[in-house]
Amino acid sequence: MNQEQWETLVAVVRGETRTPLPTGFIIDCPWLPNWAGHTILDYFTDERMFLEDNLKAIRTFPSAIFLPGFWSEYGMCTEPSAFGAASVWEQNEFPFAKKVLRSPAEVDALEKPNPRKDGLLPFVIKRLQHLEPEIERAGHKIRFAVARGPLNIATFLMGATEFLTAIKTEPERMHHLLGITTDFLVDWIAYQRECFPSIDGILLLDDIVGFVSRRDFESFGLPYLKRSFDADVTVKFFHNDAPCKACAPCLPDAGINLLNFGVQHTLSEMRAWTGEKIALLGNVPPRDVLAAGTPADVTRAVTEMLNAADFRSRLIPSCGGGMPPGVPTENIEAFIATVAALTR
Amino acid sequence: MSDVSSLGEAIQNGDAKAAVAAARRALESGADPMSLVSDGISPAMTEMGRQFGDGDCFVPELLMAARATKEVFVILRPLLSQKGTQPVARVVLGTVRGDLHDIGKNLVAALLEGGGFEVTDLGVDVPPERFVAAVEDRKPEIVGLSALLTTTLPAMKATLEALRTAGVRGRVKVMIGGAPVTASYAEAIGADGYAENAGTAVGLARRLIGADAASRAKGEQAT
Repeated sequence: MNQEQWETLVAVVRGETRTPLPTGFIIDCPWLPNWAGHTILDYFTDERMFLEDNLKAIRTFPSAIFLPGFWSEYGMCTEPSAFGAASVWEQNEFPFAKKVLRSPAEVDALEKPNPRKDGLLPFVIKRLQHLEPEIERAGHKIRFAVARGPLNIATFLMGATEFLTAIKTEPERMHHLLGITTDFLVDWIAYQRECFPSIDGILLLDDIVGFVSRRDFESFGLPYLKRSFDADVTVKFFHNDAPCKACAPCLPDAGINLLNFGVQHTLSEMRAWTGEKIALLGNVPPRDVLAAGTPADVTRAVTEMLNAADFRSRLIPSCGGGMPPGVPTENIEAFIATVAALTR
Repeated sequence: MSDVSSLGEAIQNGDAKAAVAAARRALESGADPMSLVSDGISPAMTEMGRQFGDGDCFVPELLMAARATKEVFVILRPLLSQKGTQPVARVVLGTVRGDLHDIGKNLVAALLEGGGFEVTDLGVDVPPERFVAAVEDRKPEIVGLSALLTTTLPAMKATLEALRTAGVRGRVKVMIGGAPVTASYAEAIGADGYAENAGTAVGLARRLIGADAASRAKGEQAT
């Protein structure tokens, strides 16, 4: 993200209305490598390809803000790998982390990883350190510390079904587990900030909070998200594209000031639930419109979304989730052009 | 409150112990085991599926209800078998090859079982040939395929092709679901139905069976 884009992002988060509105997208391994003509595994394992694919996206769509920007990631395996989760790699599929905990009781023996040494985390840092000079020569900086959220990591360690059952059957153990994942996250975010002083934002991704009731979110979600986001940074960005009506009113209490959410709710609904405190990044259907539609479909969906939203402050038009696989260049161009035309 | 009503309430509360106790009391007082399914478990799970679809019930509550249902079925299954009671239909269910996600499949399995279906859960990362073998072995009316990853969608198509190649596709209705799945994808690969979420899967399964019955009746009339 270049300086102008960062300043625009911060301005929108602070409530300034920009005309035209900026368009922003989360981009990562599900879309970027295949769009650039590479396999997912090559993208993960080749630093040059990682850099060039990111630069290609930035140069193809210079007016779009790509978030978090140069996201050094290994799909869902990044954080679980630090806990010892085996990672499964296919040539062109997302990697998958195998479970570490076979029963809730095994939480008792779980140790907090060291982000400086464990799993793939040193690879994440080194890749960015190796590339940082070139990223900066291209006019960009690393702005975000990024991680999966505390509940998301917990489900990768023990399985989603098992975790979501155990919050009912073994709540104390699950609080213990979330305490460990959160302590780890705090260290991991601090370490990323230490390595890259240009970081002034945190992005956490956690769809699991969308699967629980308001009461369970207040017990098992909010305290841990709040602690994970508790750092002196300007942008606190949260991604959850599961249904999140139940937790939405609590998200400002976690410190979040930028939210990417799914297609289950409208922009106006989310604004009503979260108040004026959170900037919204959304939410044209990513799969059915942005990936599967034509440019005309994208134009229609963006127009309908903007016409239906009765506000322009704290709004960054995007899709409801990360950029999905298979989105063609012309659909992104149609999205950006429509936003620019309608919000002048 | 009758024991059958208590059973339904205990299931909705996710209280397995109370559900089993209510089921035992109902059986001891002479209730037909099938009535526990049709008047207790099935309405409770149908209601939870409806609430889940509306966003008023959440995954942990549904999982707890599923646990309670499973424990009651431990008591009921042998009794139903003794009486020769047939399930609504048999379903073989699994997450397709390459995909290790199980939560959507587990929710669908729980709701189907609660709805009186007999479910054979093949687990996750199930290759097409295991679906074929299960169709030959379990003789289901329905095969359910689940996927969470866009990259594993082709495995759904491969599974349908394997069923066709093995000559068993005509014996079963195939329903598919999962985050990346759409109705148009279901149509494109030749599946019989698509469930948008776990809450709608039971209704879809019932419609598929109903459609079967209707088409059989039409066929009989035609001959």
